[in-house]
Amino acid sequence: MLKFAFRRFLGMIPMLLLISIVIFTLARLMPGDSFSGEIDPTNTNPEYIAEMREKLGYNDPLPQQYFRWITNFIQGDFGKSTRFKISVSEVIKERLPNTLLLGFTSILITYVLAFLMGMYAGRKPYTLGDNLIGTFNYLGLSIPSFVAGVFAIYFFSYKLGWFPSNGSIGIGMKEGTIEYWLSRFHHVILPAFVLAFLNIASYTQFLRNDIIENSRKDFVRTARAKGTPESKIYNVHILRNSIIPLVTFLGFDLVSIISGAIITETIFTYPGLGQLFLQSVGTRDYPVLMTLTMLFSLITLIGNLVADILYGVVDPRIRLD
Amino acid sequence: MKRTRMHWLIVFILVLSAFLTACSSNDKAGTNKKEGSSVETSNKPQDGGTLVYALDSQPKGLFNWTFYEDAVDHEVLEFFDENLIDYDEHLKAQPHIASWTTEDNKVFKFTIKKGVKWHNGDELSVKDWEFALYTIANKDYEGSRFENVRNIVGAQDYRDGKTDKIEGIKVIDDYNIEITFDKARVNNLDNLWTYPMNRNAFKGIEVKDMLNSEVVRTKPVGLGPFKVTKVVPGESIEMERFDDYFGGKPHIEKVVIKVIDPSLSVGELKNGTLDMTSFHPSIIDQVKALDNVEAITYPGVSYYYVGFRLGTWDGEKNVMNEPKYQDKKLREAMYYAINREEWVKAFFFGVGKPVNRPIPSNHWIAADQKELKQYKYDPNKAKKLLDEAGYKDVNGDGYREDPNGKEFVINFSHYATQNPTFEARAKALAQYWEEVGLKTKLTMTDVNLYYDLLDKADKSMEVFFGGWSTGADPDPTPLWGSKYLWNYPRWVNEESDKLLDQALDISVVGTDNEKRKNLYVEWQKLFMEELPILPITELEETMAVSKRVQGVKFDVSGYNRPHEWWIKQ
Repeated sequence: MLKFAFRRFLGMIPMLLLISIVIFTLARLMPGDSFSGEIDPTNTNPEYIAEMREKLGYNDPLPQQYFRWITNFIQGDFGKSTRFKISVSEVIKERLPNTLLLGFTSILITYVLAFLMGMYAGRKPYTLGDNLIGTFNYLGLSIPSFVAGVFAIYFFSYKLGWFPSNGSIGIGMKEGTIEYWLSRFHHVILPAFVLAFLNIASYTQFLRNDIIENSRKDFVRTARAKGTPESKIYNVHILRNSIIPLVTFLGFDLVSIISGAIITETIFTYPGLGQLFLQSVGTRDYPVLMTLTMLFSLITLIGNLVADILYGVVDPRIRLD
Repeated sequence: MKRTRMHWLIVFILVLSAFLTACSSNDKAGTNKKEGSSVETSNKPQDGGTLVYALDSQPKGLFNWTFYEDAVDHEVLEFFDENLIDYDEHLKAQPHIASWTTEDNKVFKFTIKKGVKWHNGDELSVKDWEFALYTIANKDYEGSRFENVRNIVGAQDYRDGKTDKIEGIKVIDDYNIEITFDKARVNNLDNLWTYPMNRNAFKGIEVKDMLNSEVVRTKPVGLGPFKVTKVVPGESIEMERFDDYFGGKPHIEKVVIKVIDPSLSVGELKNGTLDMTSFHPSIIDQVKALDNVEAITYPGVSYYYVGFRLGTWDGEKNVMNEPKYQDKKLREAMYYAINREEWVKAFFFGVGKPVNRPIPSNHWIAADQKELKQYKYDPNKAKKLLDEAGYKDVNGDGYREDPNGKEFVINFSHYATQNPTFEARAKALAQYWEEVGLKTKLTMTDVNLYYDLLDKADKSMEVFFGGWSTGADPDPTPLWGSKYLWNYPRWVNEESDKLLDQALDISVVGTDNEKRKNLYVEWQKLFMEELPILPITELEETMAVSKRVQGVKFDVSGYNRPHEWWIKQ
């Protein structure tokens, strides 16, 4: 197992290098740079722009620019954001906690709701409750998050006033106090729900189908024959087997926690990595854009690795060595 | 078992309904109260209250005049810092903290008010201003303001490292300073950098590290009516009243500036959780429909135009060598063909006004309509002009051919962003030209690439839509002079260059603004006679202000200083 993990880990290095080339080329293929578009004739002049382009090395040949970028990148120097004028790692550090909080909360909501609904639906398939849950789930799966986000804001923020519609923290909160954390939590719930809405569906249906399938298996019949209470059969015998495939989702969840929710964060004006990513595309902030894409790629690769390893852990039949 | 469950359900429903009714009755009470207070309007300013102001996108967080770059940071700076001079409703410079005298427009003597306090308790000295000028002239300074310092005697040498002192800046005492420019110009003052920096707060910070310093990012020190108490990067800025503000104690207790996605601003305004924000003209009807908010429009300084590619950029100057649109009658006909009134009404939501010159109407140099050639919508005249110029339909396809009988197509470009109205409005323009028989092909180009192509005078940009926003300095040379990169039509005209030069020439106009204006009026006449571009519309700025906020006034230079505002309690 260790050997397998190590081998996979080594295999990631050339993959990342290839990804970096693609990212760099794609980023530079976008027309314009951070100086085009916004010209203010009263404050700046063409010489200044030319001077800054030269200074940032935008005029060098592309391969040279690539090697300069990747060398610095490997050494942990991600460059300086052309928009915020501070180092990229600082920009990301400012927003990472928000994204992590949002990601974890949404995953938590997903798991709790999916387990509750999945177990109910699996135990009582083809009943009214199961059908209601199914309808809810497919609704969630089919409504795009930007529609769900806007409706959630309209009902829960404007009509009912339960949750704030924007931001990650209330005004005048002192860091570290209980109110501070409550306020952050209060701000994160609505976007987290919208984000979870989409995932709940697949988790629930997965669990439901697995439970139905398992409940027809021999070991369940045996348990029933022994006189084991029905609730114990479902909550212990079946559930244990049914969560195995779900565990492997954990690896992919890693990705969604970090990469945030580009659309949801933007709609809720929630300052996280997703919103940052979208804005960097708009303003051609190459250093931030490329660092974020590299980060997301890395996490995706690691997520895949974790998923593969977990497969082996929960199901010895596919253990690779 | 079952009964208790039902019981809980009933309790739950009861609680929920109680909650909902509480909500709605609260709402009613709230509106009632508001109506009541507006009846007994008291016009005496009241102290206290919190003003919530929204930005439509994240600030970059460069909260210092010397380093800021975009309009969003500027909105924040307006609340907590000051310019030494002010601009009136015609964008003429007025004394504010500093007043000045000059005899020859070369040497300026400035005197600042005594007892003006910084937020950290220091008294403002001209040395703070000197410090800002030196910072900008430093070779490590990365911002874009050197333009505004360059003309001071010795500034360039200081930047190049030839001297360690800028000769043209002479501090006389804490309140008096003399600034000498390399040459007498009429617009020396307009172009000068007049924002001080607190030199104590920046003590010990190298120029190259200033951008990253706390004083710029999170703990700025200003002179304005409010002082910053907390910055949550990318999200909000909190400020409180600065009691020692030189203009008088502000009425409002606290200001909160938040980033709110534009799609949420109408809802927030309606809920009363937002007091003030600028907004995109496209939602003006929704804002106007709100009872508790006033949609204010005030004159702006930007205008939009249709340009023609008349030539190219040879790396140093413009060369007018492109024959396709050289015929003035063609350009005039295209102008007559556009129904600007209708077009502006349809796409600028009532906040645009057709404009007849490349100068916004509120600028003091703007020429009177009567003096300029008018191009009112007249499709028949357009057709007549085209006939005269030889653009006739010879092959009977319904479109005109060029004077040589070859097919003629207007290749019209417009920039594309996420804004869905851009394509519609560009198509509408194309439609006007088609109606007089000119075949038009529209290309929508990504906005970043678009300006790149214009900078390079790319051949594909034949007829293009563009816009400029002008500043306080009325000089149109950087935009329309024949040696300037941003003269996108690549228009070269000796007469125009001569007039523009004369208007800046101290030996011609002296310090007489009237004389200078007359030259600019002459220039505008010439411009509208030559028509290198077709000016289409100027845009008003739009701002939503809650009715509980009082004392806010707007003119072309923006709003009055916020210490005069107050909140009805």
